[in-house]
Amino acid sequence: MLSSNFKVVFFMGKGGVGKTTCAAAFALGTSIKKRTLIVSLDPAHNLGDVFGIRLSDEPKRITNNLYAIEVDFERMISKHLKSLTDKVKDIYGYLRVLNLDRYIDVLRHSPGIEEYATLDKIMEILKSNVESRKYDIVVFDTPPTGLTLRIMALPSISAIWVEKLMRLREAILDRRRIIEEVTGEKIKTVIKGKEFEMPSDKEEDPIYRELIHIKREIDFVNSIIRNSNVCMTVLIVNPEVLPIFEAKRALEFLSKLGINVQYVIVNKVFEISETASLPKELVTKLSQEKEALQLINNYFKHQIVIKVPLLYEEPKGLDKLITFSRYLSKLIDNAVV
Amino acid sequence: MKGKIFRRTLRKALTIVNNLFKAKSIEYIYVELRELENVFTLIVLGSFIGLPSPPTTISLRLLPYMAREIIISTSVSSRLNDMLAEMAGLFEIT
Repeated sequence: MLSSNFKVVFFMGKGGVGKTTCAAAFALGTSIKKRTLIVSLDPAHNLGDVFGIRLSDEPKRITNNLYAIEVDFERMISKHLKSLTDKVKDIYGYLRVLNLDRYIDVLRHSPGIEEYATLDKIMEILKSNVESRKYDIVVFDTPPTGLTLRIMALPSISAIWVEKLMRLREAILDRRRIIEEVTGEKIKTVIKGKEFEMPSDKEEDPIYRELIHIKREIDFVNSIIRNSNVCMTVLIVNPEVLPIFEAKRALEFLSKLGINVQYVIVNKVFEISETASLPKELVTKLSQEKEALQLINNYFKHQIVIKVPLLYEEPKGLDKLITFSRYLSKLIDNAVV
Repeated sequence: MKGKIFRRTLRKALTIVNNLFKAKSIEYIYVELRELENVFTLIVLGSFIGLPSPPTTISLRLLPYMAREIIISTSVSSRLNDMLAEMAGLFEIT
């Protein structure tokens, strides 16, 4: 059961737009009032660099109320695969005789494993927090848009597959039951010289049970990421045309998945009022920025747009991040309510 | 005595006929079941032979329980080069 105050916040955007800085400043801002955990899911981590603190796979205390994790992808994928390959090896253990078991290890290179392992990690963090209620806010600093969208789409895609597989499995179990009723005995299969009775009941069938288990996990993730009261999705863009186009496509894709983007942060906005004495190149840049900001107004009418100016100093370290977080006060205030 | 033997023989004959009808009645359901299990395997493990399939983790999580389905698929695929004979056998065309 989710606590009514619990919030999950995803920061998404094209590589280099300032996702990590915004996420870190936001987390620091919310941690003044709420217990906050920030998780970097980007394989090219720099959350630790932004805080100026070395981070690891275990939550590290940054301030009184703020903890941070940089997910160890190699370990995460190994952990995700270990349970799967152990099961496969246990059941198909006879492959060891033929020295084929090492081929099973190749499974780690299967396409899509990285996305699912990331989703697994998100699930693990959310589940453990739902049980322990250790944090009020969990912030995810995500990988660049392409990978993040694939991760966010996984629950919906998996739900469709699981639904279809469950229907097919039910048809199989129905046929088995009919045969059982007529013959008066269970269908048998010989595997490795041993005779096994095949289940015809949904509760007895391990495949159906596993499908139900997967469905519950998917429903859990969907119940969070599609719930606007719990999940806040923030898109970060720079005032440049291309990142805005990409953000617009991401917004449309997420809305198809039932995920509502509530905020758009326009990071690194030039704020120069006096343009008369500026060099030609900078005037051009400012006019491009004006065009980009106009696009943002057109494309993100239903989102709250927050503008963050280009700062003279890079916002690294806790003090500078606190200053930076003031620009995100609207977002922070809505999260800590 | 003769009546007893007759009744026993009749019972045996009826049991055989009964079993025959039972077997006949579920013959097509057996074939249907086999094909459904084969389709299930192809869908779940399709990625291994280049077919569209569920996200890899779903396939891997179901794989440990699919021994029977894999045996059936292997046996079906070994007969695929003679589909005509398979169909003829199913519809008793001789």
